Amino acid sequence: MNHWFWLLLTIACVVWYSTITVYVAFKGAIDIKNMLARLEATKKREAEKT
Amino acid sequence: MTNFNWLLDGSIVGLYLLVTMVAGLMVRKYVGKVEHFLVAGREMDVYLGIASLAATEFGIVTCMYTAQNGYEKGFAGATPGILNAVAMAAVGLTGFVIKPLRDSGVMTIPELLEKRFGPRIRWAAGVVIVLGGLLNMGVFLRTGGQFLVLVAGMDVRYLEIMMTALLVGVAVYTILGGMLSVLITDFLQFVVMSLGLILVTVLVLMNVGWERLVTTVETSYGAGGFNPFVNPTMGWQYVLFNLMLNTAAVLTWQTMIARVLAAKDTQTGRKVYTGTSFFFVCRFLIPGIWGIAALATLGPVANTLEAMPRFLNTAVPTGLMGILIAAMLAADMSTDSSYMLTWCSVIYNDIMAPFRKKPWSEKKGLFWNRTIIALIGIFLLLYGLWYPLKGDLWTYLGVTGTIYLASISTLLIACCYWKRANSWGAGASIFVSAVIPVTYLVMEQLPGTAATAKAIGPYYSGIATYLLSGAAMIIGSLLKPSGQLRQEAA
Repeated sequence: MNHWFWLLLTIACVVWYSTITVYVAFKGAIDIKNMLARLEATKKREAEKT
Repeated sequence: MTNFNWLLDGSIVGLYLLVTMVAGLMVRKYVGKVEHFLVAGREMDVYLGIASLAATEFGIVTCMYTAQNGYEKGFAGATPGILNAVAMAAVGLTGFVIKPLRDSGVMTIPELLEKRFGPRIRWAAGVVIVLGGLLNMGVFLRTGGQFLVLVAGMDVRYLEIMMTALLVGVAVYTILGGMLSVLITDFLQFVVMSLGLILVTVLVLMNVGWERLVTTVETSYGAGGFNPFVNPTMGWQYVLFNLMLNTAAVLTWQTMIARVLAAKDTQTGRKVYTGTSFFFVCRFLIPGIWGIAALATLGPVANTLEAMPRFLNTAVPTGLMGILIAAMLAADMSTDSSYMLTWCSVIYNDIMAPFRKKPWSEKKGLFWNRTIIALIGIFLLLYGLWYPLKGDLWTYLGVTGTIYLASISTLLIACCYWKRANSWGAGASIFVSAVIPVTYLVMEQLPGTAATAKAIGPYYSGIATYLLSGAAMIIGSLLKPSGQLRQEAA
C-alpha cells in the first residue's frame, strides 16, 4: 500500500477518538465530581471562618 | 439542497445548547474569588484537563483551516498538527518551561516575567499577548458563523445574526462562571464534539473511500500532497516556521498554559500536556480528510475555505447533521469561552496591575473580570464584521499569533534558564517580535506594498521574527551595563 504513513496515522486518529475519548470522558466526569466536592469543602471552611 | 431538518436536527442542537447552558450556569455558585474565576481555584485534575484542553484547541475555526489545508495541500496539510503533537509531548515529558512556570504559582505568564524583568516588562508582555491573541481570535466568529450557515443551508444574510447569537450564548456563562464554567462546559463539549467528529469521519471514509482520497491527492498535488518538503506551496520554510510556531505555542499560548496553571500541581499539568499531545494530530488530520473528500467530490471551488462545509451540507444525512452541528457548536463554544477568559485574565492580572496599587476586594476583582469579558465580546463582534481575511486562514492565525509567541517564548525560556537575561533584552525582544508581523499584516492590506508582502511570504517573515526576537534578547541583555544589573539585583 502506497502512503502507508498517512493510512496508519488516519487509523490511529479514528482509533484514538473511539477509545481514548470514552476513557477520558469517564475519568473526566469523576474529576469534575471531585473538583466540585473540594470547592464546596473550601467554601464551607471559609464560611465557618467568617 | 441541505440535509438539515429543523425538527430532528434542530431538536438535537437545541437540547445540546440547553444542557450546556444549564451546566455552565450551575457552577457559578462556586465562584467567590478571582482565583476561582481565572484558574478554577487550581483544582483541575488530569482527565478534566485533557478534555478541556482538547475541546478548547478545537473550534470551528480549527476545523475550517485544517480542512482548507487538506483541500489545498492534501495530506501534507496535516504537518503542523504532527509538529504540534511532537512539541507538546516533549514539553509534557521533560517539563521544559512549564515546570518552573507552574511551580512559581503565578496566574499568567507576564506575572512570572515581572519577577525577573520588572513591572514594565510585565505590562508590555501583557499588551502584546492580548494584541496577538485578540487579532488571532478576531476571525473566529465570522468563520464559525460561515460554517454553520453553509452546513445548515441557511441564507448568508443570517451570518451576522448567527455570529452574534453564538457569542452572546458563550459570553453569558463565561461571564458568570469563569474558568469553572469553562471547564464544565468544555467537558460536555469534548464528549459531543468527539462523537460528531468520529461519526462524520467514518461516514466520509465509507462513502468516499480511502483509495479515492489518495488518488485525488495524487492527481491534484502529486508527491507534494504527501510530503511537505516537496510541496511547492510549503517547502522547508513552511515546516521550519510551523515547528517554531507550534513549539512557541505549546510553551506560551495562554489558553494552553491556562490549563497548566489551573492544574492542581505541576505533575498534573505535565500529564495534561502529554495526554493531549496526540489529539493535535487528529485536530489537523481529521478535518484535513474532510477537506480532501470535498476536493474529491466537489472538484475545484472559488473559495477553498467554504469547500468542506459545502461538501458536508449534502454528504451528511439528516439526524447525523444535528449531531455534526451540535459537535461544531460545542467545538466553537469551548474555544470562544476559553479564549475570552484567557485574554481577560491577562488584561486584568497584568495590564491593569499598575491600577491596583492597593489590593482590590474579591467582589471588585470579579466585577472587572466580568466587564472585561463583555468588552472582549463586543470587540470580537466588531472586528469579526469588518476585517477582510486574505490568504489562507492558518497562515493568518500563525502571523498574528507570532506577534506574541516569538517574544514571550524567548522571554520565558530566558527567564527560566538564562541567568544573564535582563529587562533590556526582554524589551528589545518584545519590540522586534511585535514590529515584524504587524508590519507584514499592514503591508499585506495596503495596495502599494501587497506585492512585496507576497514576495516575502508569511513563512520567511515568521522565521525572521523568531530568530531576530531571540537575537534581540541576547544582544539587549549583553548590552546592559553591569552596574545597572547589580543595582537591579540589589
